[in-house]
Amino acid sequence: MKSFPVAGGRSVSLSLFSDVSNSRELLELMQSGKLEPEVAFLNASLVPDVFPVLAAAHKAVVSQGRESLTTRTLHSELVYNYSGSKHITESLKRCGISDDTSYILAARFDASNEEIKAVEKLICGTEIDLAELETRANQPQILKHYKITPQELSISTLPDAIVCRIAARDAL
Amino acid sequence: MDSTQEQQQDFGVLLKQGAEGRVFVSTFVGRKCVIKERFSKKYRHPLLDSKLTLKRLNAEARCMTKARKLGVPTPVLYAVDPLLHTLTFEYVDGLSVKDILLGFGSNGINEEQLIDIATQIGNAVGKLHDGGLVHGDLTTSNMIIKNNTNQLVLIDFGLSFISTIPEDKAVDLYVLERALISMHSSCGDVMEKILTAYRKASKQWCATTNKLAQVRQRGRKRTMIG
Repeated sequence: MKSFPVAGGRSVSLSLFSDVSNSRELLELMQSGKLEPEVAFLNASLVPDVFPVLAAAHKAVVSQGRESLTTRTLHSELVYNYSGSKHITESLKRCGISDDTSYILAARFDASNEEIKAVEKLICGTEIDLAELETRANQPQILKHYKITPQELSISTLPDAIVCRIAARDAL
Repeated sequence: MDSTQEQQQDFGVLLKQGAEGRVFVSTFVGRKCVIKERFSKKYRHPLLDSKLTLKRLNAEARCMTKARKLGVPTPVLYAVDPLLHTLTFEYVDGLSVKDILLGFGSNGINEEQLIDIATQIGNAVGKLHDGGLVHGDLTTSNMIIKNNTNQLVLIDFGLSFISTIPEDKAVDLYVLERALISMHSSCGDVMEKILTAYRKASKQWCATTNKLAQVRQRGRKRTMIG
């Protein structure tokens, strides 16, 4: 797990897992609110780089500081923000995990060492380096989800295009 | 007063100050960034003031991202803060077109570079206009040439709006023409080079250039009689 500073002394820790076999269990635990510690699970094939995740995390931390979270918890807010859409259910479905997701990015805010170990224990899969995100990303799926046109891609990288959508969502 | 000063420090190092806002250099989750703050106008009614500020903030964010979707390079938008009235963008490293052209005026013209810049400007504005976006403040100081790639980046969409009317596009070009004539007359006819590229890039160039001829005769403001 790697930790990144976000804003106001808060941080987010990310780790990437492939060949995850217990996503159904994880999903059930999360939906019943019994996940201990609380973690955000992202569908990692939609994540080509950590930077958009950090931008979404920044946004989540700022809205929590103002008590204006749109979703119930800080961690679900991260998934919702990452989607760049205003539809909560759809966001959580697409950018979160489903029963058969095997490639997962886990994120935890202000994680302590014990919590990091607990997260690694929760997920049955192989932890791989975050640098793998770029090669493993599903580009056609990302382009479709964020509606990124070839014109835009000619002047922008994929992560930058996603960041713009995350940032501009509430201005649209 | 104390609290406003603290806030200023939070945003980072002051880069520029204008009539509508201030621009700071700072960092955003590990990357160098620019923060543009629209401050409130104390002479306006508080309710009206916050509505106007927020509306313009959102409009700027929308127009910048729309420009990118049209294939026109603008800084990457990192965050929008409706409470502090700030926009956070990517820091673009490079000289403004204004500084480059002024450099040509004093050190002699690099013809090749001038043509490249003019072509990029014409292309970018043509794409914007075809997509129905009017920049609203096309001056050479709102264009940056990126250091390592020599790519033109348009900045400051604070006066941008959506319009497909040839009149609005012609006024946009006219503002650019006036800016070039007043600041950079020593560089020769840059506008002609820009318009050549514009005609190639824009499918609707005909209506716009016809309108431009009319706008040149009467100036930016439409005459309102009767």
